[in-house]
Amino acid sequence: MASASDVLNPRRYFMDDRRFVGVMFLAPALLYILLLVGLPFLLAIAFGFSDVTVGNTELNFIGFDNFVAVWENDIFRQVFGNTVMFTLVSQVFILIFANILAIIFTQEFTGKWFARFIFILPWATPVSLAAIGWLWMFDTKYSPIDYLLLQTGFLGPKGILSNSRNLYWLANPVLSQISVIFVQVWRMTPLATVILMAGLSSIPTDILDQAEVDGSRFMRTLLQIKLPLILPIMVIALLFSMITMFGDMTVVYVLTRGGPVDYTRIIGLYSFQIGIEGGNLAQGAAMALFAFPLLLALALLMLRTASRAEVR
Amino acid sequence: MSLVELQGIKKFFDDVRAVDGIELEIENGEFLVILGPSGCGKTTLMRMIAGLEKPTAGQIFIGGEDVTALPPRKRGVSMVFQSYALYPHMNVFNNIAFPLKAQSREKKYDKRAIRDKVENTARLLEIDMLLDRRPRQLSGGQRQRVAIARAMVTQPAVLLLDEPLSNLDAKLRANARDELKEFQRSSNITAVFVTHDQIEAMGLGDRIVVMSHGKIQQIGTPQLIYDDPANEFVATFLGSPSMNILRSDAFSFGFRPENFLPKTLADNPENSRIFHYYVKRVEYLGSDRLLYGYVHGHDNELTLAKVPSNVRVSLDVDCDYEFAVHNSDIKFFDKQSGQRIEEQNLQGVV
Repeated sequence: MASASDVLNPRRYFMDDRRFVGVMFLAPALLYILLLVGLPFLLAIAFGFSDVTVGNTELNFIGFDNFVAVWENDIFRQVFGNTVMFTLVSQVFILIFANILAIIFTQEFTGKWFARFIFILPWATPVSLAAIGWLWMFDTKYSPIDYLLLQTGFLGPKGILSNSRNLYWLANPVLSQISVIFVQVWRMTPLATVILMAGLSSIPTDILDQAEVDGSRFMRTLLQIKLPLILPIMVIALLFSMITMFGDMTVVYVLTRGGPVDYTRIIGLYSFQIGIEGGNLAQGAAMALFAFPLLLALALLMLRTASRAEVR
Repeated sequence: MSLVELQGIKKFFDDVRAVDGIELEIENGEFLVILGPSGCGKTTLMRMIAGLEKPTAGQIFIGGEDVTALPPRKRGVSMVFQSYALYPHMNVFNNIAFPLKAQSREKKYDKRAIRDKVENTARLLEIDMLLDRRPRQLSGGQRQRVAIARAMVTQPAVLLLDEPLSNLDAKLRANARDELKEFQRSSNITAVFVTHDQIEAMGLGDRIVVMSHGKIQQIGTPQLIYDDPANEFVATFLGSPSMNILRSDAFSFGFRPENFLPKTLADNPENSRIFHYYVKRVEYLGSDRLLYGYVHGHDNELTLAKVPSNVRVSLDVDCDYEFAVHNSDIKFFDKQSGQRIEEQNLQGVV
């Protein structure tokens, strides 16, 4: 029973206080961002401009010395080049595959649900587990890929590709790079596809019906109507996978540890190896930060393009 | 032979009979309006003519050719959607040119021919100064013209229009209606216009097809449909306020509010039917007075009368008057089926 005091005093429970509840709802996200994103980021900047190491945790400001040293390091230059090359090449394939798959999965066909489910798996699998799976696929001696190539006559004594029974995927400079790019494309295509599918299904059906009445066939509708209309969304998908790819180290860490020599070493991995495994925190931080202005500029540019291409 | 012929067209979506047995002939050069409440199947019917939906049963002929199984591009039809469906990323020129480019292989249009056709059509619709603009930079009326230009540029046999005026504001709409009719008359194109707005239908149509529940209720000129409705649905769907329907033991009968006038005003009271009318409320609408009340013996059936304001008869609330309806303005309907009954068939019942 509500008594008079209940009515006169509605703030009987602290959960009725809008400000309190608002802060409570925001707190977990805010804490997460502040503690696990903001703080490490500021720390990385502080480390990058100092001479801190695991052995000597005193922070002495030394300006841009770390960044200069990093840029004068030949290995880092190659690592930087690898990172840019891997990112760009994989994005091209991701965009091509994601577009094709998004178009297939927005058509009606039997078994669509199952096909979608199978196809989303690479994205749902934890990166490290997936990478270990691929490590076995690319195994020096027992690679199933090599086995299939051997059975089909591409490998072996009279093989077309090589006389050897194995290709040594992760030991060969070019093949190791191809392997890394392949795994990245395999793992990131699903997310891009899902984003593009959302874009495709957001095109008003009137527009597609109109194109059909206007006499447009499949390819014309695709190239002149659908793709231009989902361009802004494509840019978002590209941005997502580029930034993930640029910062990733798990795949190469599991597959190659950067080898052979430095052929598959990328910034994320190298800064981890120098900063954490090697103990030179300052240098590692400088490496991790090196691409930050570039990525920021790229992200801003892409978002601007996307909002300009926004048509409605 | 008619330009378009629909024979036994049906369209079922699972259990829903969206279109349920349509027979219709559309003549060359005619402006045909399909009128009905939302959900009556009129848009589905139009989409089947366009080729965007496949009929569950029946055949469609355009120009004597069976097009039932043909895709839209082989039918010689074009369509204007309610939303106009302009391609937002193309300028007006490319929007209008799109159907020409899409059909350029079959029809052998070169770049020059496309430019000429687009410019001519744009001039005809007075949008030739807008060719470089994007759709979002256009007003509602301009967008509508671009959509019509895009539909006209291929010189289709039939122009299908799906409520193209409903996105315009009221002031523009009357103007656009007038222009559309003028344009259709001068270009002599066959137009099929779908709407739920009876004023649009009456104003535009050479003939009106009234649809309800997937079936045609009546086909005829606007005047025929208004004056001589085939059934109770058509009688009450057209006209604002709608026809008064009163029920008696054997049948229903109806008369329009504007034909329901004080007895003193009736031209020949001897050919009229007299009702005792109790006025409950009066609305002054400027040109008319709208009366709400009850006819004696029909105390539960609200009956409206629309009396011109320039008639100087005092009509007060809570008073009884004698009102008259000319016999020819009373329509009789079957109580069960709602179908119209001719008066001579009612001899002895009345």
